[in-house]
Amino acid sequence: MPGWHNVVVAAPVPARWPRRLVRCSGVGGALGFAVTTMAVIWFTAPWATTYSGSSLPGAVADLAAGLGLMLAGLLLLLEWPGRAPGLIAALAGAVWLAPDWVGWQDGPPLARTIAMVAAPLFLPLVLHLLLAFPGGKPCSAAARMAGRGAYAATGIVSVAWALSRDPRLDPHCWSNCTDNSFLVSGQPAIERGLETAGIVLALGLGTGIVAVCAGRLARGTKPARRRLAPALLPGLLVGGSASAQAIALLRTPLEGPQFASFSALFQARAWSVCALAAGLAWTVVRARLTRSAVGRVASDLGDAPAPGALGAVLAKVTNDPGVEVAYWLPESGRFVDGSGRTVQEAAPGHGKAVTRIVREGRPVAIVRHDAAAADADRLDRAIGAAARLAVDNERLQAGVLAQLEDLRASRTRIVEAGDAERRRLERNLHDGTQQRLLALSYELRLARAAAAAAGAPEVEVILTSAVEQAQEAASQLRELAHGIYPAILTEAGLGLALESLAESAPLPVVVRGTPDRRFPQPVERAAFLVVAGSIDAGLDAGAGKISIRVAWTDDHLVIEAEGAGTGPFTDLADRVGAIGGRLAAGRLGLRAEIPCA
Amino acid sequence: MRVIVADDAMLTREGIVRLLGDAGIEVVGQAEDADGLLRLVAAQHPDAVIVDIRMPPTYTGEGLAAAQRIRAGHPGVGVLVLSQYVAPGYATRLIEDRPEGVGYLLKERVFDAAILVDGLRRIGDGECVIDPTIVARLIGRRRDKDPLAGLTTREREVLSLVAEGLSNTAIANRLFVVERTVEAHTTQIFRKLGLDADPESHRRVLAVLTFLRSPA
Repeated sequence: MPGWHNVVVAAPVPARWPRRLVRCSGVGGALGFAVTTMAVIWFTAPWATTYSGSSLPGAVADLAAGLGLMLAGLLLLLEWPGRAPGLIAALAGAVWLAPDWVGWQDGPPLARTIAMVAAPLFLPLVLHLLLAFPGGKPCSAAARMAGRGAYAATGIVSVAWALSRDPRLDPHCWSNCTDNSFLVSGQPAIERGLETAGIVLALGLGTGIVAVCAGRLARGTKPARRRLAPALLPGLLVGGSASAQAIALLRTPLEGPQFASFSALFQARAWSVCALAAGLAWTVVRARLTRSAVGRVASDLGDAPAPGALGAVLAKVTNDPGVEVAYWLPESGRFVDGSGRTVQEAAPGHGKAVTRIVREGRPVAIVRHDAAAADADRLDRAIGAAARLAVDNERLQAGVLAQLEDLRASRTRIVEAGDAERRRLERNLHDGTQQRLLALSYELRLARAAAAAAGAPEVEVILTSAVEQAQEAASQLRELAHGIYPAILTEAGLGLALESLAESAPLPVVVRGTPDRRFPQPVERAAFLVVAGSIDAGLDAGAGKISIRVAWTDDHLVIEAEGAGTGPFTDLADRVGAIGGRLAAGRLGLRAEIPCA
Repeated sequence: MRVIVADDAMLTREGIVRLLGDAGIEVVGQAEDADGLLRLVAAQHPDAVIVDIRMPPTYTGEGLAAAQRIRAGHPGVGVLVLSQYVAPGYATRLIEDRPEGVGYLLKERVFDAAILVDGLRRIGDGECVIDPTIVARLIGRRRDKDPLAGLTTREREVLSLVAEGLSNTAIANRLFVVERTVEAHTTQIFRKLGLDADPESHRRVLAVLTFLRSPA
């Protein structure tokens, strides 16, 4: 399915030793190469054949750029082993130092020649790096073609130049005017043409780098931009300074540290490369920081992290505040979020990708996230290693919360179904039985009048008694119906219902703060039952009187009953709990808090 | 006397119509919901209406609302509300704007011709009618410090009848005493309870009900 990735969280953690080997050998190699280069610069020092050898600032900028890029590449390799950008960056750092070897006066000719051929490859390497960062592969076929084309064109021009360049006949030579081990035959015309082609190519590559960085920054989503900017912004500078250098060379083909303009350009190029190295290193550091945040969630197991904590951490890891985590509950066959609410199965689309987290061959969770901000690999690293337990923990917690939510909803439904049934019964009694009873008493009165008119006093006495019986039955039926369901609550609201409750109570009841507004029916019903229950309890406890206080805010109705005794009020607590409220019994009475939103 | 009857139960409606017919009261219209009642009142200009407080469609206050609209829009039309709720607060709410030409009787009285017809006639005369059960509940209410404890039995009897909306003449007839005696009782009662209202006015019903309903 397009847009879907699976992350297997039970994947084995990579063994430690290859990482250590990479780290030791890589750092050793980079430092060794840099020290050797320093020595080369030292030997070259009195001569104006390198920018680094000509001045201390030049040497500092040059080594900082080359060594920095190599170390940043190693960091990338350690963080994401097997991914191209680390290797490319390390290579680019090494190639950055190549001109120092070219300018090594009296150095081995072969070394100088190889460095001369390799040096132009710096720009294709940077282009490839910025196209491929951070995933390892350029995102489109066109980008891959552009990368390969850059290598091929630069390589061909560089090698052909080396084959045709006799350094002693080159009018623009400055760093190496003596050695070329690859020279086949000196062809000044071809050599000059190839030199110009190389400069034009460098201009094209510099512009290309600028275009790639600007394009990726402009097209990316916000989270993606935040994540890539540390590398792409310095990339703009690298591309720009390389283009400036190429334009300067097209105007004056002879360069060297003795020209102030070229020295300045060198400084610009070197420090922009330093910035790129720093940006790459920062990306790694940030990834490590967020990973330790994931680790903290895992170690918080004992403290039971707040529901949804994993989603918050993943949002941080991926720099994507819109990340959503949903857990699969196989028992009930649905997805729930961290707090246990049922959610729709996330689907890819609108720039969002969906990653399934699979454990022991079964999906346990799905993560919906910004497609550009995070990929399956990145989530794999965030979840796969440190947070496996957190995923499990939060999934279990979400499962329990979901069950609680189901239970609460089911309690509410049971209570509401009971109420609806009671209301139906009450209405049937009122509309059916009571009407018939009243009609009966009317007929009896007519019969009594007829008996009186016919002069049958015995019958009249009997009928009078029958009328009274019917009247008494109607009155008792009214009381019964009211006990089954207090219809006045529905008819007139809580305020009047509570007042009439107090007025008919068998002990003094004072109600204060009766509301003149309506609340949702389950709320009014629960509040009414709390007051009715308090009066019954107070009567049982032999209370002298009961004080009811009603208060409400936008989202809560609070009932306090003083003198209701100490309970237990299991029925009332169930009733209030069924609609998400709380009931507490204290020394003075009870207090119910009922949400009414 | 011309009357309109509004009740959603046909059995009750027709029973009332028959009963009123036997008593010589003309029923000029029947309605089964509040809207129908309001239309009929506007068309027929009756002397009084009988309204069941429980009315469709939602059975949440439609009847009372209709009663109040008639009283506001047609001040000359007496309104007798039939209710199944022994709720003094409901009755008070009905009469509190204008305690004249209005009544609140329990539904179970509806086929007691004497009470219904007497109530209608009193309402037609501009008096106020409150069901005895409601008054009995208020008088009998348990109170922490009962202000009625200082009344004699006879005074309580008079107080109940005042609360039911009876005039001094009617009370005198009911108790087989002369009207002057009733006047003396009411003055004494109002003094003992500390009521400001004029013991001889129509508003005394409201004053007594409000007093009886105030929290103990």
